[in-house]
Amino acid sequence: MNETPTPVTIEPARASFFANASFVWIIPLLALAIALGVAWQSYNDRGPLIEIVFENGAGIAERETELRFRDVAVGVVEKVKFASNLSGVIAFVRLDKEVSPYVDVGSSFWVVRPELSAQGVSGLETVLSGVYIEGSWDGEIGPPQSEFKGLKDTPLYRYGREGLEITLRTTSGGNLTDDSPITFRGIEVGRVGKAHISQQGSFAVAEAIIYHPHSRLVSATTRFWDTSGFTFSVGPGGAEIDFSSLATLVSGGLTFETFVSSGGRVSDGMSFEVFADEESARDSVFNASEAEPLQMRVVFEDSISGLAVDAPVELSGFPIGRVTGVSGVIDADAFGDERVRLNALIDIQPARLGLTDEVTPEAALQFLSRRIEEGLRARLASASLLAGGLKIELVDTENAPLYVVQSGEGIIPVIPSTANDISDVTATVAGVVSRINNLPIEELLNSAIQFLNSADALISNEDLRETPKVVRALLGDVRDIVGSDDVQAIPVKLNATLGRFETLLAQLEKDKFTTQLVAAVDAAAAAANGVNASVEGVPALVKQLQAVAAKAETLPLEDLTTQLTTLTASADAILGTDAAKQLPADLGAALNEINATLRELREGGAVTNINATLDSARKAADAVATSTQDLPALVERVRLVLNQANQTIAGYNKGDVLSRDAQSALRDISKAAEAMTSLARMLERNPGSLIRGR
Amino acid sequence: MEVAGQNTNIISARDLGVVACMRCTQVWPAGTQACGRCGSAIVSRDHKSLQRVWALWLVGLMCYVPANMYPMLQTRTLLSVQEDTIVGGAVELIHHGAVGIALIILIASVVIPLGKFMAIAFLAISVKRPSSVSNHHRQMLYEVVEYIGRWSMIDIFVVAIMSSLVQLNTLAAVNPGRASLFFALSVIFTMLSAQAFDSRMIWDVRTRQEGAPLDE
Repeated sequence: MNETPTPVTIEPARASFFANASFVWIIPLLALAIALGVAWQSYNDRGPLIEIVFENGAGIAERETELRFRDVAVGVVEKVKFASNLSGVIAFVRLDKEVSPYVDVGSSFWVVRPELSAQGVSGLETVLSGVYIEGSWDGEIGPPQSEFKGLKDTPLYRYGREGLEITLRTTSGGNLTDDSPITFRGIEVGRVGKAHISQQGSFAVAEAIIYHPHSRLVSATTRFWDTSGFTFSVGPGGAEIDFSSLATLVSGGLTFETFVSSGGRVSDGMSFEVFADEESARDSVFNASEAEPLQMRVVFEDSISGLAVDAPVELSGFPIGRVTGVSGVIDADAFGDERVRLNALIDIQPARLGLTDEVTPEAALQFLSRRIEEGLRARLASASLLAGGLKIELVDTENAPLYVVQSGEGIIPVIPSTANDISDVTATVAGVVSRINNLPIEELLNSAIQFLNSADALISNEDLRETPKVVRALLGDVRDIVGSDDVQAIPVKLNATLGRFETLLAQLEKDKFTTQLVAAVDAAAAAANGVNASVEGVPALVKQLQAVAAKAETLPLEDLTTQLTTLTASADAILGTDAAKQLPADLGAALNEINATLRELREGGAVTNINATLDSARKAADAVATSTQDLPALVERVRLVLNQANQTIAGYNKGDVLSRDAQSALRDISKAAEAMTSLARMLERNPGSLIRGR
Repeated sequence: MEVAGQNTNIISARDLGVVACMRCTQVWPAGTQACGRCGSAIVSRDHKSLQRVWALWLVGLMCYVPANMYPMLQTRTLLSVQEDTIVGGAVELIHHGAVGIALIILIASVVIPLGKFMAIAFLAISVKRPSSVSNHHRQMLYEVVEYIGRWSMIDIFVVAIMSSLVQLNTLAAVNPGRASLFFALSVIFTMLSAQAFDSRMIWDVRTRQEGAPLDE
């Protein structure tokens, strides 16, 4: 250990570096390899750089803004700079190598930025993340292109939202709103793109897309119409507001319907018209589709105010077009003087002419040229009597000078004009108005006023007002006269006259005296028999009355009342019998007749064979007497009963209906009884009087 | 340094004909191939260590380039995404007036790593070529480099803590940038490089350099 080791000479390594090299060198080599590999790979993976020119660079940031395809980033903006002469902004986009072959001629690019519209919010994610560039290209590799023009707006047709591309064209009254939805039964099935005005300025035209698979809903007979806004109607069912959706209310929208199913398939690029509402769209199905109008010109000799743009042009009363422009024209060369003439531009709709073959402006012009050569002329006519507007009428005229329509490129064909119809109409109207004016309305009114004044004076006259009183007094006098005794005595006198006349008649029939007497006696007998028969019911009545009287004293009030009721009913029935009623009359009549007969007999002095008669009469009188023998007793009983009844009822005189009835019944009975009593007394006193008549 | 001042006459183990185990520090006679205690190989001087130093140093340097080029931190807030490189972030902090923090970042992430690279390179070169710097100073430098190496990771720690704490989904999120990986690799490789350096060789230089006066 104490041996000092020989100093070691350190030799520089002569051996090759690799022999002495440590394995650790692998690490930097590896790192280098990896770095190189990564570098090469990133270079290799780098796609081509494309240039997209935008109008402005709103929100596009270098190294940040992505290019997206189907919402997947496929590139990034590397650089943004101005285009030459500052006409735009160029975004240099480094594409991913994977998609770069597909970015070819047909590619389109646009910037997606947040958008707030009536249909909703779109691109909201870009609020936070910044805008991005959306690209659209198809899945086929085409000829490459590295410079593109960026679109201003999101295109309608893009990869992933394929559909049927159509062109929409407005009709008069129809509207097109940019970027509005096309709905079908409330579902958005398509979209209207940017609208622009057609070259002639007569339509608004917009591209539109109907997304697959809804595009099969569209056929050649499909009609589109505007659903924007709302309709307000007041009808018998109340007021009604109708609008299809809030979005279309604000921003406009279209819908469509295929009214007739026989339409053919529709290919891309087909043109459709947009109607103002469903009704006109529906109507249009049955009219020929409106084609490009034929523009023509009419020069009228007189410049008459009243012809306005949109005034109708009619052929045989059928509107075939409209006025598109009205101007005055002074052309000394063409017309020979410098008067102002009315120059009207009109659009004639070929579809309305009923052309059979092809519906084109050329065909329409051909047709009209032929008609014009045959004498068709234009004239102004009143469209409406009230509004005073004018329209243009095409009418056939007789003996019109031949006119050949000139046509050609840049020449607007002229329809010759003829005398206007307008003056006639105004004359008629003026005539009517003047006639109305000339009516003597004021005189009539004056007369009426005078008449009314007179009538008023007459009515307000005092004398006239007195008239009713006078009439009333007159009537009173008449009543007095009628009610005077003399007048009322007239019937009595007439009666007396008649009585005398009867007496005269009786004297004329004197010869038949005997037979009359026998008849009289027979009648007297019959009367007596009648009295007999009548009185037969009286005892039963009396019995009943007795029973009633007996019971009335004992029975309670109700029984009494009911029994009284039945009693009075029975009494009433008995007394109401015709026989009972007739009894006094018959008796009186018989006695009168007998009296008269006897008087005549006495005066006549014919008493020779009167004895037999008197015998029979006496027999009859005896019979009467016999029958009346019972009468006094009967009468007494009746009186008793009635007295009792009277007393009972007097105690029960509460004024009610029953007692009144009973009282009246009893009064009737008592009257009858008194009548019978007097009769009986008379017979009793002087039974012979029945026979003698005294 | 005072150590150098105290004793300039240093006798190395090799001078004494012994060799120490680098692992368990047991001293063995020169020529011993393996440590009798821990079994690790024993060499008096690891001449290939310089190669390792240089190789790892190179890798560390290679990693340091992207670590400064790529963003270290990606700060994503609701509206924007901000990516900062190390130097860019520090410059931005200076713009915001936070000079102190910027200095800390610059020292920790730029000055120290660069100093380490230079120190290691200097040490490795000084082994082969005579240097005016004393052996004691170089030993000191080596120890500082080895000690400070781990603290270079502080940047990575900050990034790791930030990105694990600030993850509020869409509102705000901090993610490590690509540079953090390279920076970490760079630090790791420089540490390995520093460790690979056989500091005993510092003294061999002295032997050769000062051998003549010693022998004199």
